[in-house]
Amino acid sequence: MTAALTARGLRMVRESSVSRFELVIESLDIESGEVLAILGANGAGKSTLLRALAGLEAPVAGEVTRHKHGPVTMVFQRPIALAGSVAHNVRIALRSQGLEPAEIARRSAEALAHFGIAPLAERPATTLSGGELRRLALARAFAIQPAVLLLDEPFDDLDSSAQESLSNDLRRAVAQTGVAVAVVTHDLRRAVLVCDRVAVLLDGSLRQVGEREEVLNRPIDREVARRVGMTNLLPAEIDAHGIARIDAEHSIPTAHRGTSGRGWIGLRPEHLKVDIGRGEGEPIGNGEVTELVSDGILTTLGIAWAGHSLRTHLVAGRGMARELRPGDAVSLAVRGGDVRVWLSEVPGE
Amino acid sequence: MDQLDSLSLFAITVRTLALCGTSLLLALGLGIPIGIWLGGRQFPGRRALLGLVNSGMGAPPVVVGLLVAQLFYRSGPLGDLELWYSTQAMVTAQVLIALPLVVALVVAAVASLDEDWALQVKTLGISPLWRNWLLLREIRLGLLAAVIAALGGILSEVGAVMQTGGNLEGETRVLTTAILMYTRMGLFESAYALAGVLLGLMLVLAGLLTWVQYGEKR
Repeated sequence: MTAALTARGLRMVRESSVSRFELVIESLDIESGEVLAILGANGAGKSTLLRALAGLEAPVAGEVTRHKHGPVTMVFQRPIALAGSVAHNVRIALRSQGLEPAEIARRSAEALAHFGIAPLAERPATTLSGGELRRLALARAFAIQPAVLLLDEPFDDLDSSAQESLSNDLRRAVAQTGVAVAVVTHDLRRAVLVCDRVAVLLDGSLRQVGEREEVLNRPIDREVARRVGMTNLLPAEIDAHGIARIDAEHSIPTAHRGTSGRGWIGLRPEHLKVDIGRGEGEPIGNGEVTELVSDGILTTLGIAWAGHSLRTHLVAGRGMARELRPGDAVSLAVRGGDVRVWLSEVPGE
Repeated sequence: MDQLDSLSLFAITVRTLALCGTSLLLALGLGIPIGIWLGGRQFPGRRALLGLVNSGMGAPPVVVGLLVAQLFYRSGPLGDLELWYSTQAMVTAQVLIALPLVVALVVAAVASLDEDWALQVKTLGISPLWRNWLLLREIRLGLLAAVIAALGGILSEVGAVMQTGGNLEGETRVLTTAILMYTRMGLFESAYALAGVLLGLMLVLAGLLTWVQYGEKR
């Protein structure tokens, strides 16, 4: 893949009478045909970065360079309907490009059909629901065949089935057009739906950028780990054989080898196995269920173990998720390869 | 002086429409760009400018007339132009009366747009010319309100046009100044005829614009 847009040495400053925020991006590439998720908490600088990439705000220093022919377009967090029909909203952007009427009609119809809003073509755009408006904004953006598409929280206010459907349409459109897409979101689950790579933005700087699995499973520090959902973080004494001792009675196997010392270990909730009957992972002892919270799809299990509170996920409404109650004892197991080790960080910091 | 004949009534009506039309076009031509500029930008002193515009909306037309009359008076700053008691001086006064109304209503219309509207249109690669056209289309209801307000202000105004035009027969006499003159002379039949035409014009024009506005909202 080749970079469609690059940012180098980018520095943006936002100042008010009461606060000052600085965004510093040493290097960021958005490749053609990929979806890059820029993940960060509210106030981390996601929207500022997106506006800089779109050329809507001038940086104090550094530069954003487009390497592919075509516009850099953006869909805002609150999609905007222009006056007129749904079809007009798509056609207006194409008219400005000086295309022939037949080509405008073809591309407009194609974009509306792709995002499932062709039946709404003649409706006034201002009467669309939130989900329909998001589809219109994406159809309008894809119709102009951009080199780079920047999406600000594209799944906000959508229910889970609408999110899934929209992310499928988006992925299909990216695969067909080869457009480079950057999505900023604070929601990991939404980002995972669409992205190939993840960039984690913390306090105005990019802390880690990499392939999705790499960032999710091998975050470079605890802050990134928290942001990408590796919520089981424990201080430990790690030996040269990879055994992480939590206390005198509890330890966790890791794939770490060679060096030893105090540090932290991290484990994604989905990698903490309860009930070792299926032989997954190495047993680490029993824990006690403290809470069960379900969103109808996943049940998040809170487990007390070695004086710490751990989390794991079960499929809601089936098996153990249905049977377990707070106070129940469960056997726990992990695979050493799933455990992330940070030796350099001092517990208690 | 005799009662008004129908030929004179027709001539006064046509002159009124021509003057008001010119003033309205000039006020819109100046006021819309100023309103768009003021409504879509943040800069030091913007609030003070908006305050000036808002107070201009409530400025007494007779004061505007006084200032314009003095401007064009023989010994005034623009006295050499010899425009005192002319249609040009009347148009100047009418534009100054209508301008704050147009600017304020356009500012309100632009400010009511989503704050990212202009950025969204820009990132769609739409050219500046098209962007301006889209903006006018987007704020068209506010523009119609501005046209109705400005037209009402200009068409019904009497003080400033009397001060700047002088109600000269065949030259600067318009419906409002003629009504005033015939009332003073006790020729109420003529005054009522003129008043009927003025009210009729107001009703037809404002009604037409309101119908267009209502049709847009549906």
